[in-house]
Amino acid sequence: MEVVVQMVFGLIALFILVAAAMVVSVRNVIHSALWLIACFFGVGALYLLLEAEFLAVVQVLVYVGAVSVLILFAIMLTRQISGEGVRQLTSRWPVVLVVTVLLFATVMTPTLINQQWNVPPAPPLGTPEPIAGPAELGRGFVNEFLIQFQVVGVLLTVALIGAIVIAFEERARRRKVLTLAEELELKRLRERTTQTETPEPVEAEPVARETRPASEG
Amino acid sequence: MYDMLTALINGALGWGWPEWALNLLSYILIVTIVLVVAPLQMLFFTYYERRVIARMQDRVGPNRVGPEGIWQPIADGVKMFTKEDIVPQAADRIVHFLAPCVVVAPTVLMFAVVPWGPGMVPVDLPTGLLFFFAISSISAVGLMMAGWASNNKFSLLGAMRAVAQMVSYEIPAVLSLIAIVIIVGSLSINEIIAYQAGLIISNRDLPGVPDLGLGWFVFTPVGFVAFVAFFIAALAEGERTPFDIPEADSEIVAGYMTEYSGMKFGLFYLAQYVLNFLLCAITAIIFFGGWQGPGVGWLYAQGITPANPNGNGLFNVLAGILGVFYFLLKTYIFFFVMVWLRGAFPRLRIDQLMDFGWKFLIPWTLANLFSAALWVAFTRWGPAEGMLITVGWSPVLRWLAAFVVTLAINLGVYLWLTRVYAASQAERRRAELEELSAAA
Amino acid sequence: MTASPFEIEIPRGRVIEVQRDDTRVRWGGGLLRGMAVVWKHWKESFKLNRSYSQIHGTFTIEYPEEQPRIPEAYRNMPILLYDDETGHELCTSCFQCERICPPQVIHMTQAKDPATGKPVPAVAEFIIEYDACMSCGFCAEVCPFDAIKMDHEFELSTDDHTRLTVHKEQLLRPISYYAKIAPTMWAEVRESALKKLQGNVRRRPDVIGLAPQLTEKIAARRAELAAQAVQAAQAAAAAPAAPAAAPAEGRKLTPEEKAAKLAAIRAAKTAQAGESATPAEAAPAPPSPAPAGEAAPSADKAAKLAAIRAANAAKKAAAGEAPATLPVAPADGMAGDTPADAPPAAPPADKAARLAAIRAANAAKKQQSGDGS
Repeated sequence: MEVVVQMVFGLIALFILVAAAMVVSVRNVIHSALWLIACFFGVGALYLLLEAEFLAVVQVLVYVGAVSVLILFAIMLTRQISGEGVRQLTSRWPVVLVVTVLLFATVMTPTLINQQWNVPPAPPLGTPEPIAGPAELGRGFVNEFLIQFQVVGVLLTVALIGAIVIAFEERARRRKVLTLAEELELKRLRERTTQTETPEPVEAEPVARETRPASEG
Repeated sequence: MYDMLTALINGALGWGWPEWALNLLSYILIVTIVLVVAPLQMLFFTYYERRVIARMQDRVGPNRVGPEGIWQPIADGVKMFTKEDIVPQAADRIVHFLAPCVVVAPTVLMFAVVPWGPGMVPVDLPTGLLFFFAISSISAVGLMMAGWASNNKFSLLGAMRAVAQMVSYEIPAVLSLIAIVIIVGSLSINEIIAYQAGLIISNRDLPGVPDLGLGWFVFTPVGFVAFVAFFIAALAEGERTPFDIPEADSEIVAGYMTEYSGMKFGLFYLAQYVLNFLLCAITAIIFFGGWQGPGVGWLYAQGITPANPNGNGLFNVLAGILGVFYFLLKTYIFFFVMVWLRGAFPRLRIDQLMDFGWKFLIPWTLANLFSAALWVAFTRWGPAEGMLITVGWSPVLRWLAAFVVTLAINLGVYLWLTRVYAASQAERRRAELEELSAAA
Repeated sequence: MTASPFEIEIPRGRVIEVQRDDTRVRWGGGLLRGMAVVWKHWKESFKLNRSYSQIHGTFTIEYPEEQPRIPEAYRNMPILLYDDETGHELCTSCFQCERICPPQVIHMTQAKDPATGKPVPAVAEFIIEYDACMSCGFCAEVCPFDAIKMDHEFELSTDDHTRLTVHKEQLLRPISYYAKIAPTMWAEVRESALKKLQGNVRRRPDVIGLAPQLTEKIAARRAELAAQAVQAAQAAAAAPAAPAAAPAEGRKLTPEEKAAKLAAIRAAKTAQAGESATPAEAAPAPPSPAPAGEAAPSADKAAKLAAIRAANAAKKAAAGEAPATLPVAPADGMAGDTPADAPPAAPPADKAARLAAIRAANAAKKQQSGDGS
């Protein structure tokens, strides 16, 4: 059984690595995003292998289902999707390599030194899994990790409001083609104002005429 | 399935197979059944929908192939299979090919957690409900792939719409389910069904209620609101007619399916109807008790269960048949409602859809979440949790108090929200017109 | 706010806005109302509603099993009419339909008198390309002789494209057929149409203008009949005082008619005998006109034709007393157009036979015109 699990782990890990490598090496941005999604999926499978079902499902729900779609949406707004004539590497890539290796080393070295590389013995039967189920996670959010939870919440709210603000600015440049109902409503509105204000009809006439190109364009 | 196989092979036949072999056999059997049942349901649904919608439009519907046209979907299937598979020259061939697979695979995977009858769930995941929705959200990626790979503006527009709609309506759908999850205290679908034993009132909320399998959530104010909100969201998820914007054929040909033909198109079609079936099924399971119904619980208690290994296997079969009958009956009724809605309402505009989802459904389900919390507090909490009002109340009184309070909250919120929503729509319209008249 | 129909002129045109009464429904009740309407339609659709009395119920006519009730004025494809009794086509080839046809799918050639070469008010060949016809019905409207009418037949599917180029043989329908599918429409024009036909028939020599409708089987029988008729004519010429007239022939005859009559009766009798063997058809089976035109010049044939004509006319006369034999007459007429494969009449008695036959024909014609008016 243990061997099977390790083989499966190896396969999944290989898949994740290949997918991750493809993300950065593929020229087409969309393909890159799709490989990223595959990578996310592999991570979800890894969680499942670790018996963290809830985390695996949330990984799929959030990353595969939502984040990747956002990424795809964002990519749709970029210009050079096919990536032809784009250099994959900058001219100073050795520098970047050195910096990233150093950064990675600073993270990994203490882990490598301090980690005891023997798998801890399985907990006795009957003990609940540490933080895997939704109930435990929920308790964790409102007890131990309250501050982090709140900060993330504020961050997301800010992002949401920011998105709304950006979308709101777009409204000034709204479509100029009116639907029949809108045109009707507009005309009625104008009639009402002309009736109440009673301006000379000569002034109202050119206004009405100006809607014509607007409605056609 | 595993229980039954164990009882059959190691019990009745006495072969003494090892556990892993039994597991493997049961999973292979389950997967086979699911993979057979899923397309059959789809076939039946296409026929069912066409007949029902035809009746609603004073027509007769397909009644030529076989008795009352029952073989019509098979004829359609043959047509699909024999059609030429066309890939546009400018398409991204690999992604174009993969997209239908990515759309179909999750919908079939979702069958893994659907319980058909008592003890008849393929995989009883502790996080079954979440799994269901997590997997369903994957198909959005497939739609996006289909839309982009086709290299067609209609496809891309359709995919954009589909994904925007799915992402938006997943939130009210999940929020309305969370209300139920709060009451049940578990994400396991089996657990949710088990909770709905009883008669009008769940016998978990009110111990002592006779178990007729009718303690459905839809009879509680929280469950009812959640049901309505979820069903609306499910319509949007399944791209059913009031929300069939992604494939609005009068606007964007066929949406993301525009450039697909032959069996690839058939796969999209399959995915859509299987998804519709699953959404109806999950509605039936969560709000209408799934296989719960008069008699099933009693029958199952006599059969072989983990709790009662000495039962009679015949009762398992009987309970299974009755349970599947109730479950499919409910599912088909919901699909009927879906078709009914399709017959009744015209397609929404995309901005109306978004407005309705974000400005009405989400606040409504959020308020319902609050009601659900109150429900739990009234029916289950004691002084230990800080709920001091209900100390000394009888369970009936607690249940009544929970019912009245949540009903008042939900009704009030609903009326208030409808007014606010209508006012905001009117205000927006007025503002837009003013803007227009200023521009003109 | 709820003003009655609001009318307004906008750049796109005139708009009338109808305000519904339920603008105040703000809690989703309008949706339920819509669903109730659909529910009622669904529930009621299990009942059949063929009277169209209400908006509910299923109106569907399940076509292959049930035929749709086609209104009289329904028009699908044009057809040509011919007279049941005489077999004369109503068409005079005036070319009105050919001229007005918008897709120009009507083609015709006018018949010519084989003797003089002058045009005759009858049509030699008439073709309509059904595949390009747009069923506008202009041809039927414009036709001064009510010869072309719109058919109710709509099952025209075929796997053979050439069959959609329809010739005269397939276009012809008896008047009784049209009177059946469109009784009132035919009743309106009946008088004038028949009167015009009478006028035209007079100007048509020989068999020109007769509806040609015969299968090969009947053609063979016709050949046989023709031979018999010629023999009868010979016999009449050889022995003018041949045995008595048929019992049906009870009328007084003018002396000069007698000889012809005898020959004619013989012919009629043989024809009748032949006809009784075949199933009596209300609509007479017609032959192709082209062979008739070709056959005319040959002397032998002319004799034959005349003989047949005689038989025909005799039949007509007999019809006065015995209407049951009426439908047979056109069949005899057909016999006249015996194709070239008819066995030649006996050469020695050639002349006498011809004479007798012509006389018989003339007498019969007179008789006929006297009866007809």
